[in-house]
Amino acid sequence: MATETKQQTTQATDRSFADRLDAWLAEDMSPRRALVVYAVIGLYMTFLLLPVFYMVLVTFTSAEFLYSSQLVPALSDFTLDNYVTVMSTGLFQQYFINSAIVATTTTAITLVVGTLAAYSLSRFEYPGRSGLLFTFLGTQMLPRVLILIPFFLMMFTIGLIDSLVGIIVAHSVLGIPLGTWLLKGYFDDIPKSLDEAAKMDGCSHLDILGRIIVPMSLPGIAVAGFYTFILSWNDYLFVSILSQTAATRTLPFGLQLFQSQNAVAWELLLTAATLTMVPVIVLFALVQRWVVEGLASGGMKGA
Amino acid sequence: MATRTDTEPTGGAYVDEFRAFLEDTWLGYALVLPSVILMGIIIIYPTLRGIQLAFYEASLLSPQQQTFVGLQNFAQMVGAPAFQTALWHTVLLTALAVSIQYVLGLGLALALKEKVPGAALFRSLSMVTWVLPIIVMVIIFRFLTQNGFGPVNIILGSLGMETTAWFGEPGVAFPLVVLMHVWRNVPFYAIALMAAMKSIPDTQYEAARLDGAGPLQRFRYITLPQISYVSMIMIVLHVIFTFNNFDIIYLSTGGGPLGNTEVLATYIYKQAFQQYAMGYAASIGVTMLLIMMVFTVVYAHLEARD
Repeated sequence: MATETKQQTTQATDRSFADRLDAWLAEDMSPRRALVVYAVIGLYMTFLLLPVFYMVLVTFTSAEFLYSSQLVPALSDFTLDNYVTVMSTGLFQQYFINSAIVATTTTAITLVVGTLAAYSLSRFEYPGRSGLLFTFLGTQMLPRVLILIPFFLMMFTIGLIDSLVGIIVAHSVLGIPLGTWLLKGYFDDIPKSLDEAAKMDGCSHLDILGRIIVPMSLPGIAVAGFYTFILSWNDYLFVSILSQTAATRTLPFGLQLFQSQNAVAWELLLTAATLTMVPVIVLFALVQRWVVEGLASGGMKGA
Repeated sequence: MATRTDTEPTGGAYVDEFRAFLEDTWLGYALVLPSVILMGIIIIYPTLRGIQLAFYEASLLSPQQQTFVGLQNFAQMVGAPAFQTALWHTVLLTALAVSIQYVLGLGLALALKEKVPGAALFRSLSMVTWVLPIIVMVIIFRFLTQNGFGPVNIILGSLGMETTAWFGEPGVAFPLVVLMHVWRNVPFYAIALMAAMKSIPDTQYEAARLDGAGPLQRFRYITLPQISYVSMIMIVLHVIFTFNNFDIIYLSTGGGPLGNTEVLATYIYKQAFQQYAMGYAASIGVTMLLIMMVFTVVYAHLEARD
C-alpha cells in the first residue's frame, strides 16, 4: 500500500496543490499522518491551555517577578505568599463560602425538581406534554437581561433582595430547563420494559424512579448536576443585581469589584481567580468522561 | 400502558383502565408541576411582564408609577444612535464569533477524531476553557494584555513594537471580545462535531476511496453532509448564546472604550439599572427576543428545505 501511494505521488508532479495534499494524507495512520494530527492538536492546546497554565504559574511566583517584565520565572521566584495572603483575607473567605452555599443548594434543588419533571416527561403521556417540552427548551432562548428587570422588581416586592435565598431561587430556576432536558435524555435511554417488569412486581411509580431510573442514570445526574453547579458558580448577572452587600456576594461579583479598582494587585487577583476556578476544574475532572460522552451523543442529549 | 384488544363485555375493564389512565395522568402532572410553577414564576411571568413594560414609561426609582405610552419606547429606540451601534456590534460579534468558532471547531474535531494515543485526554483537556468561569477568563485575558508587564506586551516590547493596554484600544477591544468568545466555545463545537464524524461508518470512506476519492473529496462529499444536522444545532445554539451574552463584554470592557464594544445586552443592563429607564430597556429586550425568534424560524425553514 505504501509503495502504491508513493508511485501515485511521484507520477503527480503537475497536479494541483489540493490533489497533492490528498495523496500525501491518503494513508491511514501512517507516522506522518499521526504527526500532522499531533501538530494540529498541539497548536490548539497551546491556544486553549497556555493562557490558563500561565496564569496558574504566575500565582506561584512573587509579585516582584510579576512586575519585572520577564516571561519565565527563575526557581528563586517561586513562593506560596499569594495563596497565604488571599486565603487569609476575610472577604475572599466570605465570597467563597457564599458561592459554595449558593452553588450546592442550587444544584440540589435543580436535581430534585428536574428529576421529577424529567421522569414525568420521559415516562408519562398526557395532554400538553410536547408543549411543555418545547417550553423547557424555548426558555433557553429568552434574553436573561429582559427577565432580569421584572424579576428584580418582584424580588424587591417580596423582600428577597440581598439575600442568599433570592440568589438560590434565581439560579435554581435558571438551571431547571436545561437540567430537566438533559435528565430526560438519559431517562429515555433506559428501556421501558424494565418499568413494565417492575410494575408487574407491584412497584409504584416512585419505586421505579428511586430503584431503577435514578440508579441507572447516575452519570446523567452527575452531568446535569455539573452543568447546574457551573451555571450557579459562574453567574455574575443575577448576583450583581440581587446582592447589595458583602454578606451576599459570590466570587464572580467579588472578583469583578476587585479587578475594576484603580490599582489592581494583579498577583492577588490572579490567585483569587485560580482559586475560583479550582472547584469547577475538580468537578469537571470527576465527570469529564460523561460530559464528553453526553455532548458526543448528538450534541445535546434528548435533542 | 398496553392497550387491550379484547375487552370483557361488562365494562369493568374500561373503568379500571380509565382509572389507571387518570392515575397516570394525574401523577404525570404532579411530578412536572414543581418545575412548571417555578419556571412560571421566575422565567415566564417576568418575560411577559417585561414585554408589557416595553409599552410603559417606568422608572426603577418609582416602580409603582407606570404610564402606558404605546410604542413610544420603540420609537425612541429606533432613533437612538447608541441603540443602532449596539445592534450593529451585536450582529457583527455574533456573525464573526460563530463563524470563526465553527471553522476552528471543525479543525479541532478532525484532529480529535483520529485514533492516536492520548486523543481522549486531549478531548477532555480542551473542554477546560468551556467550563472556566467567565470572570476568570476575563481576568486571564486582561492580565495577558495588561500594559507594561502583561506577557503580550512583554513580547511585543522585546520585538520593538507598540505596547499599550489593549482592552482600552478602540480598534482592538472588539477583536479581543470576539477572541474570548472563540477561545471559550471552540471545544464545544469540536466535541460535538467529532462525535458526529465518528458515527459515519468507515465503509463509506472505503467505498469512496475505491472510487478514487481523495481525503478532501471524501471530506466534502461524505463528512460535511453527514455532520450538517449537528452543525445546524451548534450554530443555532451559539447564535442564541452569543447574541444574548452579557457577561463576557460587561466584565471585560463594560461596553467601552467609548462604546466600541457596546452590545444590546450591556446596553439594556445599563439603561435599566444605571439610567433606571426600565420601560425603555424592556423594549430593547423585546426587540432582542423578536430578532432571535425570527432567526430561529428562518434558519429552521432553510435547513428543512435542504
